[in-house]
Amino acid sequence: MSGTELDLARVDRDGAIAETRGGLSRAGFLTAAGAGALLALAPRARAAGLSKTDVDVLNYALSLEYLQAAFYTESERSKALKGRAAKAAAQVGAVERAHVQAFRALLGRKAMAKPRFDFQGVTEDPKAFLKTAVAFEDLAVEAYKGQAPRIQSERVLAAALGIHTVEARHAAWMRYLNGIQPAAAAFDDPRDKGEIDRIVRATGFVTAKPKMTTRRKPKYTG
Amino acid sequence: MAPPEPSVTRAGLLRRGACAAGLALIGVPALVAAAQSPEQDVRALNLLLMVEYTESAFYAEALQRDALSGELRSFAEQVLEHERAHLSLLEGVLGASAEREPQHDFGDATSASDAFADAAARLEDLAVAAYNGQAANVTPEAFAAAARIVSVEARHAAWIRSIVKRDPAPRAADQPKTEAQVRAGLEDLGVRL
Repeated sequence: MSGTELDLARVDRDGAIAETRGGLSRAGFLTAAGAGALLALAPRARAAGLSKTDVDVLNYALSLEYLQAAFYTESERSKALKGRAAKAAAQVGAVERAHVQAFRALLGRKAMAKPRFDFQGVTEDPKAFLKTAVAFEDLAVEAYKGQAPRIQSERVLAAALGIHTVEARHAAWMRYLNGIQPAAAAFDDPRDKGEIDRIVRATGFVTAKPKMTTRRKPKYTG
Repeated sequence: MAPPEPSVTRAGLLRRGACAAGLALIGVPALVAAAQSPEQDVRALNLLLMVEYTESAFYAEALQRDALSGELRSFAEQVLEHERAHLSLLEGVLGASAEREPQHDFGDATSASDAFADAAARLEDLAVAAYNGQAANVTPEAFAAAARIVSVEARHAAWIRSIVKRDPAPRAADQPKTEAQVRAGLEDLGVRL
């Protein structure tokens, strides 16, 4: 049924995702995100039955996905990247946006709003772009691994694990493009939220953190 | 038999229907969780041990046959080191419960570079799917051990795919595989389970 298919116009009522899609057409977005096999969203499921812990974990993951999605989208728009790096930025950006969309659909009105970002020029310089991309992707792997043991819902866990390994693929891909070891060690270790937050804060990329969306203001929930 | 479950486990939450209302996230099917128990850990970790045995044997044989050069060779050398470390970790956790290494016949895959690259990509993708598929079946201790490994397998997968100019990350979320699917995948690669 059409209710379970991805429909950007229906899911993204506030236009935030359409806005971050940048130059990608809807067809381009879907292809990049893995075509029809992906993104079966069930709009009625919004945060139904999610425990407080799972809402917390999902919002934390959403905050990191917002950061990544905005970074790649801006890099793509800057048109500073060429060749393989440009192709990787477009594809990885589409996937990060798909993660944002999936988490927002899942959280419904409990989803945190998108923060504001200032990437301070790293999206306009191919070398700085690659270095930042490697750092973001390695950080995402550590963050998902740190949170996975807290997840209570089976469905959320399955999704988080599947995304965790995709972030690791992205990390290896960006490392490869950057000419460094894609898999530098035999084991990847988790990192806790406090440490991740400190690292993200130190970048200065997040300039304004919005409050949670409220029940009164259905701007982000449709 | 599995002992009674503690009052709150992931599997228990699922069975009580929490969050069952169609949370279809980016096309990932629900994991089919068996009750978590030390017995179940042994079963799940032995499956992952088969994957690690296969990977270690595969890269060791390709290097020994001197089939690789350039990027493929440095990939195989680095990855073999990782797979051996994974193998020791799993053997250590399993102790006397560890199953023996299976026989294999990798055919051309360890003697011709094209066949090697293709098999390596399949093997690494299979490893990711195997770990992701067992995650809900294991106790927190086993989960923590497996979690340190699975993202490294995903890095290997993206690495070999980058070398042969295939899409390193073709999906928004990696799909888990069941035990039966993993065993079938290993057999396709020449492992005799």
